Amino acid sequence: MRRSQNKRTTRLLAALAIALVAVLALVPTSAVAMTTNKATARPNEDGGSGVIGGMDTRLTWEGTVEDGEELTAITLSLPDGATFDHSTTRVTVLEGLKRVEIGNSTTPSGSSITVKFDEAIPADSLVRLEITDMQFPSEGGDYAVSGTYETADGTRQLADSPTIAIIANTPLQAAVNWLDEQPAVQAWNSVPFLGMFLKPQLLLTSFSSLFPGWLVCLAIVIAAYPFAILLGMVFALLKISKYKVVRAIAIIYINILRGTPLFLQIYIMFFGLPMIGINIDNNVLGVIVMAINSSAYLAEIFRAGIESIPVGQYEAASSLGMTHMQTMTNIIIPQTVRRVLPTVTSDFITAYKDTSLLSSVGVMELMMFSKNLTTVSGNITPYMAAAIFYLIVTLPLIKIVGIVESNIARSERGGGPRPKRKGASEATAESDLTNSATAVHAETADKKLEDALAGVFAPFRPQTQTPEV
Amino acid sequence: MARKSHEVIEVPDALDANKAAEIAFAHDQGLTSHAFTKGEHPIVRIEHLNKSFDETKVLRDVNLDVWPGEVVVVLGPSGSGKSTMLRCINLLETPSAGHILIHDNEITHASGSEVNKLRRDVGMVFQSFNLFPHLTAKENVMIGQTKVLKKDKAEAEAEAMKQLEAVGLADRADFKPAQLSGGQQQRVAIARAVAMHPEIILFDEPTSALDPELVRGVLDVMRDLAENSGMTMIVVTHEMGFARDVADRVVFMEGGVVVEQGLPAKVFDHPENERTAEFLGSIK
Repeated sequence: MRRSQNKRTTRLLAALAIALVAVLALVPTSAVAMTTNKATARPNEDGGSGVIGGMDTRLTWEGTVEDGEELTAITLSLPDGATFDHSTTRVTVLEGLKRVEIGNSTTPSGSSITVKFDEAIPADSLVRLEITDMQFPSEGGDYAVSGTYETADGTRQLADSPTIAIIANTPLQAAVNWLDEQPAVQAWNSVPFLGMFLKPQLLLTSFSSLFPGWLVCLAIVIAAYPFAILLGMVFALLKISKYKVVRAIAIIYINILRGTPLFLQIYIMFFGLPMIGINIDNNVLGVIVMAINSSAYLAEIFRAGIESIPVGQYEAASSLGMTHMQTMTNIIIPQTVRRVLPTVTSDFITAYKDTSLLSSVGVMELMMFSKNLTTVSGNITPYMAAAIFYLIVTLPLIKIVGIVESNIARSERGGGPRPKRKGASEATAESDLTNSATAVHAETADKKLEDALAGVFAPFRPQTQTPEV
Repeated sequence: MARKSHEVIEVPDALDANKAAEIAFAHDQGLTSHAFTKGEHPIVRIEHLNKSFDETKVLRDVNLDVWPGEVVVVLGPSGSGKSTMLRCINLLETPSAGHILIHDNEITHASGSEVNKLRRDVGMVFQSFNLFPHLTAKENVMIGQTKVLKKDKAEAEAEAMKQLEAVGLADRADFKPAQLSGGQQQRVAIARAVAMHPEIILFDEPTSALDPELVRGVLDVMRDLAENSGMTMIVVTHEMGFARDVADRVVFMEGGVVVEQGLPAKVFDHPENERTAEFLGSIK
């Protein structure tokens, strides 16, 4: 009993071993019969290297037929939602370095394409399928190409290709596609100047590509300016100090910064600081350089503004018993702010435009983005897009400067809307002031005439209304 | 920086001793202010005041006493040093030499904070108004009260409205200076000075920058102040009518010296000095 049991067990084990060997022998042959080398899609991004879904591209798939096999057909499963034109599929078979012509027929079924070869492809051959006019799904994503192949032994599964990253097709891209098809746009682009400087499609894509750069520009100048104003105010006050040494420090600071190009200052800071071991983030350093540079100009603007306040204002404040500090904060600075607002805005415009110089040291701002895009696309249009981005900010500011200037000019002339008078009778009710009340009316009438004349003669009138001591 | 060392003159102690003589002198001069009879000290005493701008001597040894409640009108041709003397009283100009005493206190050597304190008691109205253009009429009148006297806003506003009403401009409280005529601006400036309730107000040619038809309103306000406020007023002006009607005393200056002073009637009708007569003659 025991022995026969042992025998049975031994037989079972032997059978298992044979089966195992058989499986092991079979599996490798089926696995290596056809290997997938690569699957790539041709970039179809305007001025870029990405592959966008929903736009024509060309899928290239390559595989190698392994030893001892002969390939009769390949079926590639493309991502769901992909479309292609099967009739123009190119099939290339290479035996070593030699190209062999093998007749074939392609048939689509859903999102897969089957290529049947008229004669079997021998081992060691390279098979390349190029599926043209193919479009990946427009929502984008990472896609792998899978499929099956047929040998004399039957149908087997292909190894998945490495994934292809597909960029989602945005409304912007759709618009570009639409533009591409418009005859008017094609005609426009056929004019060398228009096509080179203002290509609509590229203008559109430039706007989206340059947008981050524009934000960097704005961020740099907006972050820098409060510091510039603060520093400028400090140096303006230092420059009008009564102490010679303090004045000298301010003058040196202001004159050196105003007397050298910003470009040079950028180079000194960006290349100089790392050499003495100070490494600051590019954007932060950009903010610092812009703030320091602007502060020198603002210091001069503020100084001139403070000095333009008539001495009578100081005297009036003093005669009320105000301290110097109270006079500055309550009387002089508020008036200075009003007076310098247009000039400061102009300086802000300059500072904003000057952030473009930071592109020379690798700050990823608007100019840098447009330069890169122009290099890739070989077209000037991205620069035009950059110009538009600069103008979006500067034109309204220029307009505001004009409005503020004319408002200040008008208010110094004594024009402008007057608040509503409440109870004009109050004045006349004062019995001992009837004389002055009549004077008020005379003055009002006189003022009206004066205002009317002021409008006519405005350009010829001197700016200051009241004579100063 | 232009401050020069002052001549050493011994004054304050001499004041009491000489008071009787002074009063007698004052009466001789026709200085009739009620203050004398009460035996008060002058509120402003200017002694041997000298002021030079670079090489130009503007004031040469000016002596003048002003008594509490007095309205003193200073007359004289342009360049006679009237305004400079006035500006020395609240130290907008630093005297080159001499003494200025307010309530018997020497102010010419006052420190910064003492000067600020002094100026609370000495208001000033300027020829060019010098209103703060970024503030409304009301805010102009309020700012000294809130910042210097540290009054709270409501209190300062009530006072401002009261003073604007007194100058007939309550209805212009929210106007900016640029929206007011010169005459209105000057009346706001007066309200601004009066709202601080100073003991002395200095008027530096308050109507000279005004068109003729606007002068009257300002003078009316000043007349009202002189008659009803009891404040001491020192007025530099060319308004002869105002001087004759309102002044307790008229001071005539020329070439940086006080040439003549006395009752308006006396100075106008019987000037003792030849230059005074000549000047008044040319004005008439």
